[in-house]
Amino acid sequence: MALLQISEPGCKPAMPAHKLAVGIDLGTTNSLVAASCDGRVEILPDQTGEYLMPSVVQYRKGLIPLVGEKAKAAVITDPENTVVSVKRLLGKTATEIRNSDRVGRYQLDSSKDERAPALLTAAGSRDPVQVSADILLALVSRAEEFLKGKLDGAVITVPAYFNDAQRQQTRNAARLAGLNVLRLINEPTAAAVAYGLDSKDQGNVVVFDLGGGTFDVSLLSLKKGVFQVLATGGDTALGGDDFDNVLGEWLNAQALAGKKLDLVEQSKLLHYANQVKHQLSNLESVELNYAGWTGRLSNAKFATLSQDLTSRTIKTCRRVLRDASKSVAEIDNIVMVGGATRMPLIRTAVEEYFGKVPLTHIDPDKAVAVGAGIQAEILIGNKSADNFLLLDVNPLSLGIETMGELVEKIIPRNTTIPVARAQEFTTFKDGQTAMSLHVLQGERELVSDCRSLAHFELRGIPPMVAGAAKVRVTFQVDADGLLSVMAEESSTGKTAEIQVKPSYGLDADSIEQMLKLSHEHAREDMEQRTLREAQLEANQLIDAIDAATRADGGLLSEEEANSIASIIAELRQAMECKSSELIHELIENLNRVSSAFAARRMDMQIGKALRGESIDTVDKSVK
Amino acid sequence: MQKISQNFFDLFGIPESFTVDLELIGEKYRDLQTKVHPDRFADAGEQKKLAAVQYSSYLNDAFGTLVSPIKRAAYMLVLHDLDIEHFNQSELSMDLLLEQMRLREALDGLSKEESQLAELSELKAEVAKKFQQSQLSFASYVDKGELPAAKQTFHEMQFLNKLLTEIETKEEQRLGY
Repeated sequence: MALLQISEPGCKPAMPAHKLAVGIDLGTTNSLVAASCDGRVEILPDQTGEYLMPSVVQYRKGLIPLVGEKAKAAVITDPENTVVSVKRLLGKTATEIRNSDRVGRYQLDSSKDERAPALLTAAGSRDPVQVSADILLALVSRAEEFLKGKLDGAVITVPAYFNDAQRQQTRNAARLAGLNVLRLINEPTAAAVAYGLDSKDQGNVVVFDLGGGTFDVSLLSLKKGVFQVLATGGDTALGGDDFDNVLGEWLNAQALAGKKLDLVEQSKLLHYANQVKHQLSNLESVELNYAGWTGRLSNAKFATLSQDLTSRTIKTCRRVLRDASKSVAEIDNIVMVGGATRMPLIRTAVEEYFGKVPLTHIDPDKAVAVGAGIQAEILIGNKSADNFLLLDVNPLSLGIETMGELVEKIIPRNTTIPVARAQEFTTFKDGQTAMSLHVLQGERELVSDCRSLAHFELRGIPPMVAGAAKVRVTFQVDADGLLSVMAEESSTGKTAEIQVKPSYGLDADSIEQMLKLSHEHAREDMEQRTLREAQLEANQLIDAIDAATRADGGLLSEEEANSIASIIAELRQAMECKSSELIHELIENLNRVSSAFAARRMDMQIGKALRGESIDTVDKSVK
Repeated sequence: MQKISQNFFDLFGIPESFTVDLELIGEKYRDLQTKVHPDRFADAGEQKKLAAVQYSSYLNDAFGTLVSPIKRAAYMLVLHDLDIEHFNQSELSMDLLLEQMRLREALDGLSKEESQLAELSELKAEVAKKFQQSQLSFASYVDKGELPAAKQTFHEMQFLNKLLTEIETKEEQRLGY
C-alpha cells in the first residue's frame, strides 16, 4: 500500500532507455511533479529539498517571471503583480472573476474580451492559460534537472468536476509549456491509484479531495485492477482558501472592528489566518495576536465559523452516493486527499457521515501527483499495465439548446468516458441550408443556467423541403473528458467534422500564435523543436506501418500497398530536407491512405479478443 | 469515421435474451475495456488512438444498454425491426391505461410536505414491484416470439420507469439534495 517513499535528491531513472514521463498535480495553492526513480514513483523535490511548489507567479517588467517559492514573498510585498490561485480563473469570464474576487485581488485588463479575460501585470497583460503555463514550465525544469533529460510526456491532473472549458484551458497551458500531454486525469482518480494500485482490494472507495481551491468527491468501484468511477461530484469554487477567508473575516471583526482593508492589509490578514488554520490542525486551540489585539481560537469555534462550508462538502458526498446508488454501509474505504483535509473539523465531519475512520496514511498533498506519475509510467509504456485500467466519467451533463431556451441533455452526467452519442436534427423551413447549434454543459433546464461551451453552424445542407434533410450530430467525449462534435447529412452522406470553437478563453489559433511568440522558446529553438517532433512522429508512423504490414499485409489491397510505399518514400525524403511542414503534410497523407487498413486490423483484433485469444500477442505486432 | 455495428449481445459473447447475468456482463466489460481503452494506445499513432476511442465508446454504450432493463428491452425490439418511438393507444389495454392513471394521480396527490416521505416510498415500492413484473412478462413474450405483446409490455415498462424517476426526483427534493 505505502507507495510513497522519500528519495535522496539526484536519484536516477530506473533505466536509461526508458522514456521520461511525469505526473503533474497543477494545484490551486501548490503544484507538484512526480516521476519514477529507481522503479518507484516519487515526488521530485527542488534543490533545497522542497516538494511543494507554491502556485504563485510574480511578473516583473522586462524580467522573466518568478515562480514558486521565489515568488511567495511577493504575495504580500507586490500583490498587484503576483498571481495566486490562478486555477480558480481557468475557464471563467471577466464578470465571473470579478464576482468571485471578494478582496479585489485580480486586476483585469479592460481591453480584453469578456470571454477571454487577462490580468494586468508589470510585464503586461497575462491570461490564466499563460500564468498556468509559467507554473508548468517551472515544474518541467525541476523535473528535467532532476531526471537529467528531456521529458517525453506528462499526465496532468484536473479536478474531477472541471468543465470542458477548464479542461481545454489546462490542456492549452500544457501545450504552451511545450508538454506532450499523455492524458488529463481526474485528481480523485489519481489519488485512488496512489492508494490502491498494489493492493488486490475489491470494493467501493470514496475519495474526498479538498484542495486549496477545488473540491471533488468520487466514488470508485475497484475490481481486479480496474478502477471504475461510478459517480463524481464537487465544487470548483470551494477549497482551503475559503476557510482562510472565513477565518480572516472573523479576525477582522474581532481585531479591526470590520475595517475595510486595502489589498496589502488584506493579504497580510489572510496570510495570518492561513497560519492559524495550519496551527489548528495540530493544536486544540491557538493563541491569537494580530494588530495589537489578542485572543484565542479553538477548533470547536473554527468548526462553527466554517459550518456552511463543511456541510456543503457533506452534501456533495450524499449526492455522489445517491448518483451511484450506493448506501453509506456499502462504502469500504474513504480516502482523504488535498491539504485542506488536514483540518480536524473536516476529518470529524467525514468520519461522522460515513461512520468510518478515513484513510490518511499517504500525505494528502502528494497522493494526486504520485497517482498521476504512476499513470504516466503506464501510458508512456515503461510499466506493464496488465489488467490495470482507469475508467472515469463525465462530471457534468452535456446538452444542446432547443426551442424555448431549454437544454436537451445528450450525455448525462456520470456517463463512463469515452462516450459517443448521436442525435438527429432536421430543418424546419423549406430550402434551409444552414443550422445553428449551441452546446451547453450543466444540470439545469434553462440555457441561461448552464455553461455555454460552443456555438457552431452547419452549412451546406442541400436545399430540401422542411424536415427532409437529416443531420446526424455526434458528440464525442474522449478519455481526457474533452468534447468534440461531428456532423453528417444523412440524405447525401456528406460528412463534416466540426472544430468546436471554445466560447471561453483562447481558441486553438491564438494558442498557436502564442506558442510562436512565446518568450520561453526562441524562434530557432521552436523550429528545431517542431522539426524534431515532426521527424519523431514520422519515424514512429513509418515503424508502425512497417510492423503492421509485416504482420497483416494480407489485409492490404495492392493499390493501398503501393500508395503507402510511395508516400513513405516521399516522407523519408522530406525528413532529409528538414521541412517540418512537408513532413506534417505527408504524415497526414499517410494516415489517410492507411486508415482503412488500420480499421480492418482493429476489427480483427477485437474479433480475436472476443474469441478469447490474448490481445497481447496481437498488440505487440501492432506497436 | 469507422462505423461499428456489432450486436451488443455478440460483443459480450452472451445469448440474445432479456434475462442476463449482470455479474458476467460486468466481468466481460472490464476485460474487453482493458484491451480497447484509449489508455492502451496512448503511445500509438493518431489513427489507432481514434479507433480506440471509438471502440471504447461503443463498448461503453453496449454495456450501458445491456445493464439497464429499459434500454435492453428497447434494444431487443429494435433488433427485431420494431418501431419503439411510436405506438397507438389501441395497442394498450384499457386496464393498463386505468392503472397508469391511478398511479399518476396517486403521485400528483401527494403534497410537498416532508411528512409525505413515507407515502412516497410506499408508492415507489409499489411501482418498482410492477416494473419487476413487467420485466418478467417482457422476457417471456420475447422468448415465445410474441413480439406485439412484448412491444406493448415495453410501453408499460417505459411508463413505470418514467414514474419511478419522477418519484425519485420528488424524494430528492424533499430530502434536500
